[in-house]
Amino acid sequence: MQRILIASDDGFSRELIRLALAGLGAEVRCAGCGAELERLCARVLFDLIIVLQTAPFFCGRELIGRLRPPGLRRPLVYVVSWQQSEQTVLSLLECGVNQYLTFPVSLQRLRAKVAGDLTLQQP
Amino acid sequence: MNALLIACLACTAAAAAGFAFLLAAETLRNRRRTCYHNLLRQRYLRIVMLALFAERPAVPHFPLLRRRDSRLLLAETLAGLGAMTYGLPTGLLSEITARYRLDEWLLRRARFAQGYRRARYLALLSELPATESVSRHAARYGDSRNRYVRFYALMIALTAEPPAALQRMAGCAWAFSSTEVAEITAALRRGLLPIAYRPLVASASPNLRRVGLSIVRQFGIAEAGPQLLQLLDDDETAVAQADVLHTLCALRRPLLCREVRHSLGRMKPAERRTLMRCMARSSYAPELLRRLFDKNECAYYETIVQSHKRCLV
Repeated sequence: MQRILIASDDGFSRELIRLALAGLGAEVRCAGCGAELERLCARVLFDLIIVLQTAPFFCGRELIGRLRPPGLRRPLVYVVSWQQSEQTVLSLLECGVNQYLTFPVSLQRLRAKVAGDLTLQQP
Repeated sequence: MNALLIACLACTAAAAAGFAFLLAAETLRNRRRTCYHNLLRQRYLRIVMLALFAERPAVPHFPLLRRRDSRLLLAETLAGLGAMTYGLPTGLLSEITARYRLDEWLLRRARFAQGYRRARYLALLSELPATESVSRHAARYGDSRNRYVRFYALMIALTAEPPAALQRMAGCAWAFSSTEVAEITAALRRGLLPIAYRPLVASASPNLRRVGLSIVRQFGIAEAGPQLLQLLDDDETAVAQADVLHTLCALRRPLLCREVRHSLGRMKPAERRTLMRCMARSSYAPELLRRLFDKNECAYYETIVQSHKRCLV
């Protein structure tokens, strides 16, 4: 079974995305951003991590380095946030983020994207 | 004397212990209530999501709705869902709002509340599927002395009657703040306000122009560049000019032109520094700035660029 991790400090958005991805046939787990996220990623290799926030003064490159073991293309990392500036989006994509979506987000589109990427990842 | 002193100390200790106990009890009660609210909110969200993604969507039953604060939690859940998503079947959300009379309840609460509390209820109402009747009832708050109340009454009117949005925004007597403009643009992103940027940017109303510039910034509409330069020539007010310059920076347009130099010449040092921070965020090269700003200002710009704050994400 494939594994998805949703990371956010906001319980409501975490729960919203978790419920939207229910029924995809993947195990969906939630964590806060920070130590909990790193601890989970060190223990389990996820297929997809969805981060629901961005933070100023926080280097995305380092975060991706910690989430994704060197030399691997897994896990895929999606970022969904309220930030809309082109600069932010480009820097995130350069850091290795696979998909960037802005709030307000279409749950159907997100679900379709996740389903598509998980299918591609299946051995 | 000693006995009196001991009695006083004993009384003080008893009072301190009593206060500590009350404080601990209150903290525990608050924690318990927060936990209960979080659980109930999650439960309501789950029920709504199941109903939305069901094959035959029907208005679900929400448990414990008669309990204190439950209706507010349901309204917050629906409002949160509306604020963070788009493309959901609005029919079902409207039916839930109507069946449980959430709009009437929020209006009643707003009537008996004041200040920020009233603004909060109106903010929730503006996120729920709007009806003309709610908009009519909320119109009474359009002249409130509280800015937030006034603004959320306007938001309710905008979402209830999108075709009249431009007229309503232009009719506002106060200037929109950046936060208010961001709220309006967020509503636009959710598809609630069908607005084109061109008439807004060209509008004589400062509020409409600010919303137009915000749309240009957020959607990165590069083709608006020439229109913005024209605005710099036409509008002499400092606030409008700063807003246009920030938009040009966000679009990363070339700034070495007569209109920009002319506007920069009329800006105050503090405004120029604010613009520089915006330029740093948009990655303008320090070399370019040497032709626009003096030596001291260029040195300031270089410190911003070299600062770790550039490493935003």
